[in-house]
Amino acid sequence: MQTRKKVILAGLLFSCCVMTPSSARAEEAAKPGTIDALRDQTRAMEQETAALEEENRGLRKMLKDMDDGDIYLVVDTESNRLTMRQGNRILLTAVVGTGSRQFVKEETGRNWYFESPTGALTVLGKERNPVWIRPDWSYVEENMPVPPVDDPDRIVRGVLGKYALILGNGYKIHGTKFTDLLGTHFTHGCISVGDEDLEKLYRTVKIGTKVYIY
Amino acid sequence: MQSVMMKSKTACLLILLSLFFAGIEVNGQEQEERDLLLLQQKALAKKIETLRREQDFLLFEKALYATDSKYLIINLRTKKGQLKYQNRVLKDFRFTASASLANGVLKTGALTLTRKKEDPGQKHVLLFGRSLVIQWQRPARSPYAANAPRLSLTQGDLQSIFYAVEEGTRAYVVR
Repeated sequence: MQTRKKVILAGLLFSCCVMTPSSARAEEAAKPGTIDALRDQTRAMEQETAALEEENRGLRKMLKDMDDGDIYLVVDTESNRLTMRQGNRILLTAVVGTGSRQFVKEETGRNWYFESPTGALTVLGKERNPVWIRPDWSYVEENMPVPPVDDPDRIVRGVLGKYALILGNGYKIHGTKFTDLLGTHFTHGCISVGDEDLEKLYRTVKIGTKVYIY
Repeated sequence: MQSVMMKSKTACLLILLSLFFAGIEVNGQEQEERDLLLLQQKALAKKIETLRREQDFLLFEKALYATDSKYLIINLRTKKGQLKYQNRVLKDFRFTASASLANGVLKTGALTLTRKKEDPGQKHVLLFGRSLVIQWQRPARSPYAANAPRLSLTQGDLQSIFYAVEEGTRAYVVR
């Protein structure tokens, strides 16, 4: 009789030790802080990490693809500096002249404000030995009578340097005879550049190159 | 009969002992795994945080690439900044940071320029709410957002940036 009791006791102990962990496993998984919950959390975090890495890779690629690697020009009209850039590289920094920010008024009421254009512009053309067609303001500024539009007197050679990059609306990046004034606001809106820098620009810049003026 | 009982007693005892020790071993292994998982989670949480920050910045750049607005990137670690337009760098600049910036007061992320202030003495100040002030190197004290972290630029750089940006311009602070 005593032996039977002992066998039963041993059986109960056995079932306690062996059966409890396996039968409670399912219940344990639902409880926060249990080993299974920790495993699940870790797995979820690994998946989140992988998803974020994948998304960031895609975004980086998208941004990289948007960078065409083209050369572009930047003109800072405050510091009167022009930089030629390619990505994060600076290929050239030039001291330039920009719009004088002065008003000229004609007796008839016409007036002009000499400011360099700002925004994203494009090199529309390239010229060698550019010719300056004197606009009306040039005569008004010097208190001279304004000649007819097709007057040959308006054609002036040799004042814009050897080269010019055409930006449209009468604006250009060109040379100047007034090299002492480079680094100041002295032009009528065009960007004036020294001879050496102008040659480098002319040789490097292509039609279609972007010019950012601010 | 007695020897049979002795044998069964011994067998029971052996089973119980082996189960006891097996239990201890299982518990020990579990604790070890638990510690390892917690460590792993800590590292993963840090990585997720870094990746989220990176994603936030990439999304900011992606959004700004498609707009017609200039924006600023301010790197507090390298103490360098950039004025950008779409995917183009317009200007690089350096700055010095106030002591409060070194203490990590300014969080990484996007800011908006709320006010441009130009004093008669040509002192330009850019205010990004109460989060950040960008000013010229010279003034030791500024009446604007007195307790806000400050970046000081050279007069030339500040002037260039001042006229290039407008209220509403976005900036992104990275570390």
